[in-house]
Amino acid sequence: MMKGILSRTVLSAALLGTLGWTAEIHAKNVTLAADEKPAAIEIKIDNFSFMPQDTTVAPGTTITWVNRDDLPHTVVSTNGKFKSKALDTDDKFAFTFSEPGTYEYFCSVHPKMTAKVIVK
Amino acid sequence: MQGFLGTQAGFAADLNLVIQLAMGLALVAGMFLARAKRYKAHGICQASVLILNLAMIAFVMWPSYSMLVMTRIPARLSQQSVAIPAIHGLLGVVAEMLGLYIVLAAGTSVLPRSLRFTRWKLWMRIEMALWGTVLVTGLGTYVVWYVRPLH
Repeated sequence: MMKGILSRTVLSAALLGTLGWTAEIHAKNVTLAADEKPAAIEIKIDNFSFMPQDTTVAPGTTITWVNRDDLPHTVVSTNGKFKSKALDTDDKFAFTFSEPGTYEYFCSVHPKMTAKVIVK
Repeated sequence: MQGFLGTQAGFAADLNLVIQLAMGLALVAGMFLARAKRYKAHGICQASVLILNLAMIAFVMWPSYSMLVMTRIPARLSQQSVAIPAIHGLLGVVAEMLGLYIVLAAGTSVLPRSLRFTRWKLWMRIEMALWGTVLVTGLGTYVVWYVRPLH
């Protein structure tokens, strides 16, 4: 009788432990999933160039361009998906990339300034 | 569209620079036509430059100017990328207006006699000096915007 109670208690404890562990794992996964939200990325504009020139991000990522140059620049997508106004020194422009694909862009004032964002 | 002079400028800015330099040479050539007493050719030459410059202002310079200079005045006037083109724009407007006035007053009978200059040579020389200054500040603008900012 005692043996039966003992074994049931051990079994229950083991079961509860397993459930608790599973719950912990589940909670951890939720937390991780929340952490894995696409981060905001910054691209610097300076000395007639976009830095970095090629940027790879996950869908849903918001990219912010910051003009650190002492000249105005623009950020214009070649396929017309986004277009900033003229960004003065320290001005910012942000765009959220929701669709996968390759987005090439340039500065309309200085057309040799080109770069791309790869969303995958 | 990319430029053809090997700088950061686009096609329109490069084309404008070449045309402005050519127009500067044409004005000097026109000055020599006047010295050679070929006044009709002189008038046609200088008037053509003024009219072509109006088109360059409307289609190339004003769009850039309104985007890169007008929006930054007066806050950024201490920056060379604003100050040089601002001086260029101001003197350019005066030079274009004075030039058009000289063409109207000297080459047509549109203006009443009371509104016409009498000291032609003096005003034409002032116009040439002004145009030269505008050309130099225009070159400065091109360098500051498209070659490398002068820190």
